[in-house]
Amino acid sequence: MRAFGYDIGQLVVAHVALAVVPVLAGLLLALPVGFWAHRSPAARRVIVPLSGALYTIPSLALIVVMPIILGTGILSPVNVGVTLTIYTLALLVRSVAEALDAVPGTVTTAAVAMGYRSAGLLFAVQLPLAVPVLIAGLRVASVSAFSLVTVGALVGIDSLGTLMTSGFEQDYPQMVAAGIVGSLVLAFVFDALWLGLGRVLTPWSRARTGV
Amino acid sequence: MIEFRDVGKRFADGTVALESLSFTARDGEITVLVGPSGCGKTTSLRMVNRMIDPTSGSVLLQGADVADADPALLRRGIGYVIQQAGLFPHRRVLDNVATVPVLQGLSRRDARARAAELLERVGLDSALAQRYPAQLSGGQQQRVGVARALAGDAPVLLMDEPFSAVDPVVRVELQDELLRLQADLGKTILFVTHDIDEAIRLGDRVAVLRVGGRLAQFAPPDELLAHPADEFVTGFVGRDRGYRRLGFVPAASLALVDLPTVRDGADSGNGAAPGEWTVLLDGADRPAAWLAPDGGRHDLGSVYVTDAGGAVQDGAGTLRGALDAALSSPARCGVAVDADGRYRGGVAADDVLALLERDAGRAVR
Ligand SMILES: Nc1ncnc2c1ncn2[C@@H]1O[C@H](COP(=O)(O)OP(=O)(O)OP(=O)(O)O)[C@@H](O)[C@H]1O
Ligand SMILES: [Mg+2]
Repeated sequence: MRAFGYDIGQLVVAHVALAVVPVLAGLLLALPVGFWAHRSPAARRVIVPLSGALYTIPSLALIVVMPIILGTGILSPVNVGVTLTIYTLALLVRSVAEALDAVPGTVTTAAVAMGYRSAGLLFAVQLPLAVPVLIAGLRVASVSAFSLVTVGALVGIDSLGTLMTSGFEQDYPQMVAAGIVGSLVLAFVFDALWLGLGRVLTPWSRARTGV
Repeated sequence: MIEFRDVGKRFADGTVALESLSFTARDGEITVLVGPSGCGKTTSLRMVNRMIDPTSGSVLLQGADVADADPALLRRGIGYVIQQAGLFPHRRVLDNVATVPVLQGLSRRDARARAAELLERVGLDSALAQRYPAQLSGGQQQRVGVARALAGDAPVLLMDEPFSAVDPVVRVELQDELLRLQADLGKTILFVTHDIDEAIRLGDRVAVLRVGGRLAQFAPPDELLAHPADEFVTGFVGRDRGYRRLGFVPAASLALVDLPTVRDGADSGNGAAPGEWTVLLDGADRPAAWLAPDGGRHDLGSVYVTDAGGAVQDGAGTLRGALDAALSSPARCGVAVDADGRYRGGVAADDVLALLERDAGRAVR
């Protein structure tokens, strides 16, 4: 589909890839770091404020310095990807730590007493029980990634943000509006997807009031 | 057999939970650890499955020091029930119970079959198997906790205040259930509670602990009640220990008296004044009520079960049950029934006291 002189389909695909891949990568990185923060109060005192500080760096600044740090080309989508991975990591580290904290002590004690080793405990008991809090964090990170992707358009990395920047240059409000609405819709679609995934993974959490 | 040898525990922050604790929990018995909060009961229990390691002394399981065992493997061979059950909220009841068999290497199908068997054993309807723990009552959750601890077929069971979070009525049900199970299974059970009544009800032997894990007395419950070792134990076992001890004195030689009875449906069963206290029996010979001399119906009070026939029933066949029946009856005379609830005779408080006098006289001589 072409509109405003762009292949919209291509922009959508780029937009989704640029948002979702970093969110998943950030989650993957946040798991061990958050686990560490959950386990060690000393580590937590460093990790949590540090990740908070990371999040306050302006996104444009990060995207612009990435080529210097990574040696990538200035127009490489990797700059946006790595930036968003860092933001997701910063957001989710705390979620992961808090999600693991929220697993009731009686449950982990029981699991240890049954004879789980630490890996089994983590994957069979702690992580499944952390899913509701994790999904909540993931949704925030995802919505924020979908909106931050558009910033990349400022330095020429294509996404639905491109409609906004070039619509603005051409003084073409409909084009700007299409960019905004499109990225909002994508953010909502993926938000619903995470929500659905959370529900599929936690049939038990809705059993509370049953019977 | 679980043997504590001079076991001490000092935590990293300097708290001394146990100074030097020694005792032996015998095979096939329920050994209860009882004592005030913070006296080291949980700490002791968790040393058996190495969730806590002692800083001095050793814990031996069937003669082998647990310190030499791999903790995870050791734990899979020891059932553990904690307060508030600690069930996995994300697993259905059946899979909660199947946890240890799966860890032990059973296929999921076999583990579930075993779990279903155990749910039935602890008296849970099979319809509950597919529920999540949040959909069960507190008492049901506790039963699932017990089933889960039994599922690994471990000869040793550790129970840390398993029934303290449920109301008193359910607690007694669960205690009865445990005694019934134990009569079948003969596990070696180490049971922690701060409730001395529970300790006396369940324990084959009871260890009374003071703060610091100092053993104040280690004895069977009737001895604890009859001869508390010191003031601490006396204070702990409570005031009416003389009466409670009657629960351990068999009433085999208690003679029952004949009471006037009338069958329901007969003339005097329907409002006519019998002129004296009379037991109203139903069609199956089971006492239903007392009829007052003026014909009014009165509640039976607690009945005395002469012999529960192997079933677990509080006070059955003991002087406590007999005396309680006599004292709670509106007619000043208790009603005795057999295991099936059929009328056997009456119990007079005087006869119970006379029996006690005779026993006491024998003890003096
Ligand atoms: N990890 C720990 N670090 C420091 N002190 C501890 C630790 N665990 C327990 N203690 C202390 O050791 C003592 C014994 O604790 P424990 O939990 O064994 O008591 P308890 O007899 O089970 O009490 P309760 O009836 O309240 O459960 C207490 O003074 C407690 O504060
Ligand atoms: Mg305790």
